[in-house]
Amino acid sequence: MKRILAILLTLALVASLGITSAFAEDFADGKFTNPQHLTVEVYNRYNDGGTDPTSSVYAQYIKDGMLEKYNIEVEFVSVGRWSEVDDIGNLLAAGQAPDVCVTYSYPTILTYADMGGIVDLNEPLTQYKDELGNLWNLLEDYNIYYDQDPETKALWCVEARLLNNARINTFIREDWLTKLGLDIPKTEEEFENALIAFRDNAETLLGADADKMIPFLTTTDIGWMCNQVINGHVAHDISDETAYVYGYDSRQILYPGAKEGIRTLNKWYNEGLMWKDFALNDSDQADNLIKSGWVGAFGHNYDYPYRNGEDSIQASIQRAAGADAAFVAIEPFTDDAGVPRKFLSDRVDRKCFLPSTCSNVHAALLYLDFISDPEVIKFLQVGQEGIVHEVTEDGAYRLLAMSDEDKAVWIQNSLNNIDHTITANGQYLGDATVASLALGYTPVDPKYITIAYDTAMNEGRVVAKFSVGAIESENEVGSSLDSYRDTWLNQAVVASVEEFDSVYDACQAEYLGMGGQQIIDERAAKLKEVYGVEVPTDLLTK
Amino acid sequence: MSQVKQPSLSREIKPQKMSWAVYLRRYGTLYLLLVLPVLFFLVFRYYPMQWIALAFKKNNIIQPLWSVPWVGFEWFQKAFQTKAFLNALRNTITLNLMDLVCGFPAPIILALLLNELTFKRFKKVTQTVLYLPHFLSWIIISGLATRLLADNDGLLNLIYKQMTGNSSAVIPFLSNPSYWRWTYIVLGIWKEAGWGTIIYLAALTNISPELYEAAAVDGAGRFRRMWHVTLPGLRPTIITLLIMRMGYILGSEFDRPLAMSNKLVTDVSQLISIYVYEQGIQGLKYSLTTAVGLFQNVVAVIFILATNALAKRMGERGIM
Repeated sequence: MKRILAILLTLALVASLGITSAFAEDFADGKFTNPQHLTVEVYNRYNDGGTDPTSSVYAQYIKDGMLEKYNIEVEFVSVGRWSEVDDIGNLLAAGQAPDVCVTYSYPTILTYADMGGIVDLNEPLTQYKDELGNLWNLLEDYNIYYDQDPETKALWCVEARLLNNARINTFIREDWLTKLGLDIPKTEEEFENALIAFRDNAETLLGADADKMIPFLTTTDIGWMCNQVINGHVAHDISDETAYVYGYDSRQILYPGAKEGIRTLNKWYNEGLMWKDFALNDSDQADNLIKSGWVGAFGHNYDYPYRNGEDSIQASIQRAAGADAAFVAIEPFTDDAGVPRKFLSDRVDRKCFLPSTCSNVHAALLYLDFISDPEVIKFLQVGQEGIVHEVTEDGAYRLLAMSDEDKAVWIQNSLNNIDHTITANGQYLGDATVASLALGYTPVDPKYITIAYDTAMNEGRVVAKFSVGAIESENEVGSSLDSYRDTWLNQAVVASVEEFDSVYDACQAEYLGMGGQQIIDERAAKLKEVYGVEVPTDLLTK
Repeated sequence: MSQVKQPSLSREIKPQKMSWAVYLRRYGTLYLLLVLPVLFFLVFRYYPMQWIALAFKKNNIIQPLWSVPWVGFEWFQKAFQTKAFLNALRNTITLNLMDLVCGFPAPIILALLLNELTFKRFKKVTQTVLYLPHFLSWIIISGLATRLLADNDGLLNLIYKQMTGNSSAVIPFLSNPSYWRWTYIVLGIWKEAGWGTIIYLAALTNISPELYEAAAVDGAGRFRRMWHVTLPGLRPTIITLLIMRMGYILGSEFDRPLAMSNKLVTDVSQLISIYVYEQGIQGLKYSLTTAVGLFQNVVAVIFILATNALAKRMGERGIM
C-alpha cells in the first residue's frame, strides 16, 4: 500500500512539475516556444481602390514580423472606421472582441471596464515593462498612464501618440484672390471682405456657373469646420483651468466667447456668404462642391484639401479650374490680443485596450511593442523604396505617384497607414520626419503642405491636462450632448439676425439642461478637490 | 302504427381514437413544417426576453444576467427625468398621431378609388405604380426629398422662386420644424399608402356583387354604394388594422426618422427609436434603453387591449 501511495505521489509530483514547466517555459529567449494566436482590430475604411486591411501587404508584413519575432500568429479583425464605436461595442457585448482593440471612444472603454469587460493594464505593464522598450520609447509615461485613475490606479487603456498635433486650418482659393487683386486676409474683416468679393464677382470667377458660387462653406459640423472663426472670439488669457472646466466639448463650443464666433457665422449666412443648404446635406456633398471649384473658403483638418493624392481637393480643383487653382491655409481669426490662436490637440489619440476575453495579455502587449518599433512604423508609413517612396538627397522620404498595378498592392488605406500603426498617429520617421512631411502628398505641391502645417501650429496652445479621474456625468449624458451640439449651432447659424440671440440662448439653455451644466459643475468640483483651484461655473449663463 | 324513428339532424360525431403512430404518419409533415417557425420564435423572440430583466438591473451585459445586482425602477426614473427622452416621447406621440389621422385613412380611400376604376388594365398599372414607392428605402427617399425640397437648391423651391419672382422666397419643407412634420407625414403616406391598399382590395373581393346590384336597383349611385356597401364590407378589416396600429402609438420606425431628419429639426424629429439607438448602441446604456423598450411595449399592450375592448363594445369582433 505504501509503495502504491509513493508511486502515486511521485507521479503526481512529476505531472505537476511537467505542467508548471510547460507554462513557465512557454516564453523563452524573447519569444513563445509554442505558437500563440492573437486577434487584432484593424479599421476598414472601405475606400474605393483600397485594399483589404486584414490581408494587405502591410498586414502581411506585421504577421510575418510577429511570427518571426515572437512566434505569434496575428489575425486581423476588421472594424468599420466610421462605425467603430458601434462595432466595437457590439463585439465587446458579444464577448467576441479581438485580443487587441482600439477605439477613439474612452467612454466605451470606461463603460465596459465598469462591467468587468476590460483588462486593467496597470499590473501587466509593470510586469512586462522590460520587454516593452519600443512602446515606452514611443508613448512615454505620459501617454501610457494618461488615463490612469489617480485613486485606484486602474488603467484601462494606453493612449496612442499623436505625433502631429496640428489640428484645423481655414483655406481660401489663392487663385481667386489673385484674380480679384486681393491680398491674403489677415483679419476677420479682411476675410469677410474677401468673401463679399467672391460673392459679388461670381461671374468673373465662375463664368456660367456663377449661380453655384459659395463664398464660405461649412457642413453641419460647424464646431469643427468653423473652429477658427469661433476660437477667434475666445479670450486670449483664458486660463487652463477655465479651459478644462468648459472643455468637455471637443469643438470648444463651451469656451466663453464662442457665441460671438457663431454670431459672425450667422451674419455671413444671412448675407449670402455661406452655403445655404448646408444643414440639409452631408459632408460628401460638401466635398463634391469644393472639388467642383465652386467654393471660395472653408475650414477643416489642417491638411484636408491635400489628402488622397489624385482624388484630393487640390488635384480636383486643378482639373476643374486650371493648374493655378489652389487652396492655401490662412489665419485671419485673431483674438482680443491680436493673436491667431489655435487650440491644438494634446499628444494623445486613439486608445489601445485589451478586453477581458483577451487570450494572452503578454502576447497582446508584445504586439503593442512590435507595432511601436520605429522600423516597423517606417515600413508601414513609407512602404518599399522605389515603389512607394524614394529617399531625397537630404534624407527625406518622398512618396511616389504609383502605377495602377503598384497601387493595387501598396496603396495605404489611411494617411500614414494609421489604421495599422495603432500606437502612433502621424509620421514617425526619426530625423527625416520634418523634411518628409510635405513630401507625403503627391501630386500636391509641397509648399502648400508646409504653409498648412506652419499656419496650423502658429500660436498653437495645448490646454494643460488635469488628472482628476473619470467625470461620471460625461459618461451619463455625453452621447446626448454630442448629438445636440450640432443642432444648437446649426439652428443658431441659420436663424435670422434679429432672432440670433434668442435662438442661441434657448439652444444653449437646452444643452446645459440636458447635462452640459452637470459636466461643468462636476469638472469644477473635481478640479477644486484635487488641485484646489476654483473656477466659476456660471460663465455661460451670466 | 309503428313509430318511424326520425334520423337526428344534429349528428354527434364520436371522436375517433387514433394511435400516436397513425396520427404522426398523417400529420407529421405539418408538424415538421412548424419546426422552423417555432424555432425562430423561440430563439429570436422568446429566448432574448430574459434580458428584459436588465431594465431592473445594473447596466452590465458582460456578467451573467443572474449575477448582476437589481436596481428596481432606477432606469425608468432616470428615463423620465431625462429631457432627451421626454422630447423623444413627445415627438413619437405627435408624429404617430399625425400618421394615424392622416396616414391610416389614406390606403382606405385609395382602395375605394381603385375599386371604382372600371378599365382593368388602367387599374392594374395604377396599382403597380402605387406599390412602387414601398420598395424604395428611406435613404433613397430622403435623398430625393433633399433634391426636390431643399430650401435653396430644391427643385420645388427653384420653381416657386421663379413663379413668385422673389429669389429669397422659400417654402421651408425640410428646415422648419412644423413644415418638416408634414413633409415627413406626406412622404410616409406616399411611400406606404399604395402598398397598404392590398389588404383592403383583398377584403373588397369578399363583398358580394349582389349587394351592389341590389343597391343599384334601389337607386343608389356610386357614392351611396361606396358608403353603404363597400365601407361596411371593409369595416372588420379596418377595425383589425386600427387595433394593430394603436399598438404602435409609441413605436417608431428607425430608418425613416434617421434618414429624414436634419440638424435644424431634431427638436421634433428625435424619436424614441433614435434615442434608443443613441443611448443604447452608441451610449452603451443597455439597461436604460431596455427600460425604455419595456415601457413602449407595456403602453402598446394597453392600447391594443383598450382598442380591442372598445371595438367589441361597438359590436365588432376585435382581434382576441
